[in-house]
Amino acid sequence: MTREETLNELKKVIAPYTVNKEMLAGINDQTDLIRDLKINSANLVDIIIDAEAKYDIEIDYDSADRMTNVGSCLDVITEKINQR
Amino acid sequence: MISTGNDIVALKAINVARTKQQNFYSKIITETEKALYDEQFSDRLPFEQFVWLAWSVKESVFKYLQRVNPELVFSPSKIKLHELVAPITETISNFEGCDFNSEMVYKGVFDFSPHTFYSRTIITDDFIFSVVNRTNNFEKVMWGIKKINLSDADDQSKAVRIFALTMLNTLFPDAELEIDKNRHSCPIILKDGVEIPMPISLAHHDHWVGYSFALA
Repeated sequence: MTREETLNELKKVIAPYTVNKEMLAGINDQTDLIRDLKINSANLVDIIIDAEAKYDIEIDYDSADRMTNVGSCLDVITEKINQR
Repeated sequence: MISTGNDIVALKAINVARTKQQNFYSKIITETEKALYDEQFSDRLPFEQFVWLAWSVKESVFKYLQRVNPELVFSPSKIKLHELVAPITETISNFEGCDFNSEMVYKGVFDFSPHTFYSRTIITDDFIFSVVNRTNNFEKVMWGIKKINLSDADDQSKAVRIFALTMLNTLFPDAELEIDKNRHSCPIILKDGVEIPMPISLAHHDHWVGYSFALA
């Protein structure tokens, strides 16, 4: 899966938790999940769980802690897919 | 280090079934914390409320420390619940916003090495609201919670500022007060255009907004 394909799938994972659909369409590595997409922090765990199901991966504590912006989410997901 | 941290979880907005799933709650609480729940609280506190109580305190600890260390990463598993007591015997002071059952006030001790934090959490049918402090004395911590009609992020942001400023204006009746953010996105209080050394924390979730600030 290319980074762009992973990004497109990640948009679907994030979509239920943001009302900022316009910004979601144009997200990049620097987009912050809380500050830019206005996702409530209580939903960050939902995104991690949904990503685990979507990509058939397991995201450990330390990796989950890194998932604060789109770039770090893609890095973690790619790492875990490669470890399968 | 003087700071403050608070957090709200709106209970109508959480997914109860999902919270009870091991792959979900294990991202928030450790096995030791789960064991503490099973031993001491399973007969009087729904599990999902325990999980979100832990989340709200851990998030409050993160907010408290992020002001001092902007590069800090929120890491729920590293902020560890050491002790939880309820109901508490002391009176909850400096709190505004709603009536609550004193039996649903929880006092906690959390460790985030090398720091120890003390917490107060109010649980109602609608929300879990926590505030943390570095000492177990909360007389100089003011906190409040309020229900709002709209739950859009911009509405929450405006409403929580108006709510906090209403309380702050009672403390500084003759001053021009504003709440802004510093370059690390931490909220700050400006008095007549100048930041004052009174840390403030803002929280919102769904239809609830809340503040806490530390008096000098």
